[in-house]
Amino acid sequence: MTISRFYNAHIVDPSQSIDGIGYIDIVDGKISDLQLGTPGEHDTVDKLTDCNGAILAPGLVDMRVQSADPGAEHLESLSTLLAAAAKGGITALTCLPNTRPVIDEASAIDSLCLRASRIGGPRLSAYGAATKGLLGTEMAELGLMADAGAVGFTNGTTAIADSLTMRRLLAYASMLDRPFIQHCEDPSLTENGEMNEGETSTRLGLIGMPSEAEVIILDRDLHLVRLSGARYHVAHISTRAAIESVRRAKAEGLGVTADTAPPYFLLNELAVSTYNTAFKLSPPLRSEDDRQAVIEGLADGTIDAVASDHMPVDRDAKTQPFGPAAPGASGVDTLLALTLTLVHQNHISLSRAIELLSLAPSTILDIEGGTLMPGAAANFILFRPDSSWIIKGADFASNSRITPFESHPVQGVVDFTYIDGVQAYPPAELA
Amino acid sequence: MTKQTPNANSGHGQPEVARLSNRHILGIEGMSPLEIRALLDRGSYFADHPADSGSTALRGKTIVNLFYENSTRTRTSFELAAKRLGGSVLNIAVAGSSVKKGETLLDTATTLNAMHPDILVVRHNCSGAARLLSQHVDAAVINAGDGRHEHPTQALLDALTIRRRIGRIEGLTVAICGDIANSRVARSNIHLLSTLGANIRLVCPSTLLPAAIDQMGVDVYTDMESGIADADIVMMLRLQTERMAGTETPSQREYFNLFGLNKDKLNRAAPKALIMHPGPMNRGVEIDSAIADDVEKSLIHIQVEMGVAARMACLEAVSLGAA
Repeated sequence: MTISRFYNAHIVDPSQSIDGIGYIDIVDGKISDLQLGTPGEHDTVDKLTDCNGAILAPGLVDMRVQSADPGAEHLESLSTLLAAAAKGGITALTCLPNTRPVIDEASAIDSLCLRASRIGGPRLSAYGAATKGLLGTEMAELGLMADAGAVGFTNGTTAIADSLTMRRLLAYASMLDRPFIQHCEDPSLTENGEMNEGETSTRLGLIGMPSEAEVIILDRDLHLVRLSGARYHVAHISTRAAIESVRRAKAEGLGVTADTAPPYFLLNELAVSTYNTAFKLSPPLRSEDDRQAVIEGLADGTIDAVASDHMPVDRDAKTQPFGPAAPGASGVDTLLALTLTLVHQNHISLSRAIELLSLAPSTILDIEGGTLMPGAAANFILFRPDSSWIIKGADFASNSRITPFESHPVQGVVDFTYIDGVQAYPPAELA
Repeated sequence: MTKQTPNANSGHGQPEVARLSNRHILGIEGMSPLEIRALLDRGSYFADHPADSGSTALRGKTIVNLFYENSTRTRTSFELAAKRLGGSVLNIAVAGSSVKKGETLLDTATTLNAMHPDILVVRHNCSGAARLLSQHVDAAVINAGDGRHEHPTQALLDALTIRRRIGRIEGLTVAICGDIANSRVARSNIHLLSTLGANIRLVCPSTLLPAAIDQMGVDVYTDMESGIADADIVMMLRLQTERMAGTETPSQREYFNLFGLNKDKLNRAAPKALIMHPGPMNRGVEIDSAIADDVEKSLIHIQVEMGVAARMACLEAVSLGAA
């Protein structure tokens, strides 16, 4: 039995309300002890690491990642995705079923998770497609996928439009005790849409998508949640009206949670003014009032989690006029630093940031991580929250290098990522 | 910087060549009143001297017309304008070209760029396409219509038409009627006419009204008769027939009844009100034939004539580069 000790660390663990200088001990890939203060001089440990006051926190749990592999490996392979995630401080990530083939049966989940475990690094889990082929009509084999490890069900980047189908999916997911993750966007209101509807879309001559498209689906779903009792999760929430609905639903006691992604609390629709397709996202960048509402929701607990919404997009699909350009952008490289912007701007505490990035998503999806509690897997990161850098897509570890944050200055650098007590970043051979 | 020049109609000398702060003409939004007036002054001079302007600004220069949407009048208007200034014109229509074989806009741009044209005139069905092209070619780019965004030379020719007929733009009430949501002509005219001090009204069915359009300093009407009441100019826009088949509006019949321009409705406008249309017209759908052909009231043919003059001013200005 070897004991590794990380001392002189600023430990932030919202799961235990810990925020102070201390140390952790690791035995067999698990945290065996966590103490605030300075360790005794006569303790017998095998390996000592001085953290020099860096933040030691549970690794990030990224609950919304699109893997291009399988199906579009030329954009990004599973191994570059996992390496980029480790560099970004992510120790667990959950993939959307939007691969080719679609993850709509148990074998697809098995295959993806098995391949990821062979590569090593961050723990990969997956959502099962709610409907066969993500077509929104026939229910996929949710039960078999749940047995194979699906942590939840979703129709990926589209909402279930049909109310009866949605009602049944919620009831069935509830029976399987898995959350349903919805991309809230009324497809008929947003068909052919190019950006958020408003003065900017009118000036640019781009087809607007009204922000109401989000709350319309959400409010319908909340009624169906009351019918079914399901756990319901709103992905990348982006509008004030939807956030207010979630706030009311939580007050009512419904099993509702929500996440958002950095573009929705750091950017608004004005970014589109030059037709730069890096700002074409789904949901679209919203108004400044919506952005402020997202920040309020993150601060007051209405929004539970922040996810990267990582989506590899072909450069050719972005070097197009804005309308036909593909939506989406890279996210895993920048998730921590962009979220820390809210800490540096005094909107939230560092502990709340870690809760949003780690504890909350692992709780929502019931996956390992989010805590430094003794007995938990030693999945943690060491980072310097004040170290500044300039975001450059070309320098990403991810092969997906299109970011709406190109040239943005940020603060927060991950120095080390440990998974099961083993250093996952920097790669051992470079250490 | 541009200098305000004396009106060409004064007959003494010719106005100075318009100089622009941008090397491309991608839209009216962002153009200064001085730049717009300089282009109009120069356009007016070209209207008076279509063949004897003395300008050889485009001699030895190549102008490429790259049209991703079918257009007869705009393309031929640019072609004629370029030739009158001594330029060589190459027309590329997308039908039958490599674009149909899947070549992207930027690949086409790169290919054309290798041929070193001096000016690229582009029409595309996507908003922002002209700007995208301008970022990837060495030539000066003139936007000949991009999606629903802008059609700057149309607004310039419209303003030129109004100015030559009425003598001013400031203080006029202009009612723009029809499919505002999908119209680049409307957007460019809103920017240009309001920059020069006209009062702008938009008249259209509520389903064809773009979001937050009132933020652009216009008055919005959904009733044709009150919308054109006392207007000096009634500018009709084309409505694509498929939008009148139960989607945006119930039927052609209903549209003409509520929003078509006929003699009765026109009687509500100012006594000397003039009618404009960017063409091509849907006779009997948005405009009654008798009105369209009324030489006293209709400026439609003058618009076409002014198109060449306005485009000569634009081509000449961009051929000189940014001031």
